[in-house]
Amino acid sequence: MNNNILEAKNITKSFGNTHALKNVNFYLHKSKIHGLLGENGAGKSSLMNILSGIYQPENGSIYIDGIKVKKLNPDLAAKLGIGMVHQEFRLINNFTIKDNLTLSKSNIYTDDFNEAFKKYSDIFSLSAGSETLINQLSVGEKQKIEIMKLIFNNNKIMLLDEPTAVLTPQETNQLRISLKKLSEEDDKTIVLITHKLKEIQEFTESIFVLKDGVMVAEDLETKKVTKNDLITLMMGEVSQSEIRKDNQKGKDKLEVENIFFENIHSNVPTLENISLKVQAGEILGIAGVSGNGQVELANIISGIEREYKGKVIINGKNISNQGVKARKNLNLSYIPENRLGVGLAPGVSIIDNSAVKDYFKSRLGPHLSSNKMLDYLNILIKQFSIKAPDPKAEVSTLSGGNMQKLLMGRELISNPEVIIAAQPTRGLDINAVQSLHDLIVKQRDNGAAVMLISEDLDELFKLSDRIIVLYEGKIVKEFIIDEANIEGVGLAMAGLSE
Amino acid sequence: MNKYLLSKKIVVNELSTFYSFVIGLTIGIGIGSIILLAQGQNPVDVFSLMLRLSIGSVKSISSSLNKATPLILAGLGISIINSVKLWNIGAEGQIFMGGIALNFIYISTEVTNPNFSILLLLLASFVGGAVCILFPAISKVLFGVNEIITTLLFNYIVIGLTVYLVNGPWKDPNSLNFPAAAYVGKEVYLPTVFGRLSYGFIICFLCTLGVHYLKEKSVFGYELRISGGSALTAIYAGINAKQKAFVAMLIGGGLAGLAGGVELLSQTHRVSTGLSQGFGYTAIIVAAITGMRPFGIFLVGSLFGALTIGGSVIQTMGVSSYIADVIQATTLFGALIAQFFFTYKITKVTEDV
Repeated sequence: MNNNILEAKNITKSFGNTHALKNVNFYLHKSKIHGLLGENGAGKSSLMNILSGIYQPENGSIYIDGIKVKKLNPDLAAKLGIGMVHQEFRLINNFTIKDNLTLSKSNIYTDDFNEAFKKYSDIFSLSAGSETLINQLSVGEKQKIEIMKLIFNNNKIMLLDEPTAVLTPQETNQLRISLKKLSEEDDKTIVLITHKLKEIQEFTESIFVLKDGVMVAEDLETKKVTKNDLITLMMGEVSQSEIRKDNQKGKDKLEVENIFFENIHSNVPTLENISLKVQAGEILGIAGVSGNGQVELANIISGIEREYKGKVIINGKNISNQGVKARKNLNLSYIPENRLGVGLAPGVSIIDNSAVKDYFKSRLGPHLSSNKMLDYLNILIKQFSIKAPDPKAEVSTLSGGNMQKLLMGRELISNPEVIIAAQPTRGLDINAVQSLHDLIVKQRDNGAAVMLISEDLDELFKLSDRIIVLYEGKIVKEFIIDEANIEGVGLAMAGLSE
Repeated sequence: MNKYLLSKKIVVNELSTFYSFVIGLTIGIGIGSIILLAQGQNPVDVFSLMLRLSIGSVKSISSSLNKATPLILAGLGISIINSVKLWNIGAEGQIFMGGIALNFIYISTEVTNPNFSILLLLLASFVGGAVCILFPAISKVLFGVNEIITTLLFNYIVIGLTVYLVNGPWKDPNSLNFPAAAYVGKEVYLPTVFGRLSYGFIICFLCTLGVHYLKEKSVFGYELRISGGSALTAIYAGINAKQKAFVAMLIGGGLAGLAGGVELLSQTHRVSTGLSQGFGYTAIIVAAITGMRPFGIFLVGSLFGALTIGGSVIQTMGVSSYIADVIQATTLFGALIAQFFFTYKITKVTEDV
């Protein structure tokens, strides 16, 4: 017998014809922090869902404290102390922190709640009191409550799914310290699921790597592996190309002047006095934790949101009062953050989705000819190497990467003058990210003015010529890329710049 | 232990709707046969009589197609509204409203040219149907009220209105106390093409072409599809999704109203509670079976028209005419089940515990 608190042996799981997991072994040392690394679609979530009892594996067995567990279901997993923090928070927003922490029947701190709350507030450096409503908390604080909820529900094994995705670098650092304390002082066994190498190296003691449903590395000692080892394990060999920054810049193509915008549902200004310029051949990065006005800004520039004060100027032409189609006619392209739901209509065919940008133009008309639409789609498929099984299939049958290629291809094929790209690579695997980055850079070199909204700082630093940081609807800082550093941008994102 | 997993097929066979219909019809006829057997009838005799009397002669074919006309028109209306993923359950009421609007214009205007008069009356019926769906359309677009409920409720309102009119202000003194409005004059009857086949069927064929063009080839139809797929995508694309949904609902209601107008001018010639015999409801079946395809609606509507004619004549054999309704309903049921298997696949998963 060994000291593994949890062991999963030969786990196999498939969905239809795709094998999500093939004979995967996974084990956890008591009171240690483990990293589970893998690209999107590598099977990380499937494995975690099996360990928390949500999915049943077709094959394999799970041992907890050396005892074989039959038929792990969510109830049983909770009883055995396995808890998971999902990427989307599962807190009740209009309940207090205390209500959320003590909601579950497996809650162990009933009488001594205050004592326990104080202890863990210290560990997490949480300043909010237990009577604070969840909706008054920042994203980082909500994250802390989610993890605390696991502790209060007596979970000894904590599975954290991409916990840093929504955090600023400072909050990430804070989380690292808290988790370390939990494992060392509180005997918690922690699994950090991520595709970010930096974090896995900083947070964990032992690393598992999944690739295409196969566990390609088990229990690597974090100290002994290098970043390059991990990259190679995670995705085989890739050439990470550097982006040339010798691009020629031209005249101002996109100008935004003194934008004020107030969401009708709140009286807090969502955007306050935003002014910016993007030159031809330039990529302007917009950094910020999501929800700080990025979506609103993109919607205002693209013409979707019309109730604002201020000016939007494209190629010297004031288009503040014009709608989406008029702006499209000036060759403005918008790649929205929400690719399925906004950029693409789910439940509608691939061929119909491919024409969303140009459907009203004579190129496809006068009657929308299905032949012309099909030709157009085939050009997109060829030029942007999209894997699409059948033009008439629903667009939601495409993989995430192919959806995004379809969306970006559709928006970029006309070599637009101005491009607004919001989170263009979020949730995609490294190969897809690489080819999408190449597309954006190609447009830049063609002389397009690009506004890139992203939460991924690596992406912003890699592509941008300048970075503007949005915090609570205001531009709090602007960096020239050569003078920018991750820490400075991170501080500004947290609203901490002087 | 075996588990079964359901997943949507990526590629669905183009002809699957047609196959589903054939399978559904087979099931419908099968169940119909069982019921006939239980009643001591020979299904073969009954069905062959139905066939002979519904499509056995030019006369019977034209009767069947006349019967099909309101089904097809109302079905087209349902289909165009469904482009934005909305359901019109109110075609029955819209048919009556079409008839009421037609009669209203008929008794309150005086037009000497009969051809112009017919056009005007048909237009009035279209507008009547559109007016009937106006409230559901407004409440859907402005407040998001579920259109299934509102269009359904309007059926009761309009049928109530019809009952009031034919018993009250419009009651024909010469109708021997039968609750009906006075007949319209012969000069506005829709003429026949040949046999008994009314020009209404030609109108219905033209509408089928029109709706097919509108749905599949026009920019408007494309905008409806995108709006139906995702309102946010529509806004992103610069499409006013609410406006498109509103217009689609009015056109759809108008087509059902036209069904009432054509039925009145070619068959009943007056407003009564018998103006529609559930056409608006059967039209839902027709539209659903065909996956909302205009030509499908045209074909299946024609077949259902024949079934109804066949059903009504077999009463002389002592068989209930409801057998036609049973076949229609079980055909829908069977076709929907078959369509399910064409759209989804079931995979067996073996699980070791």
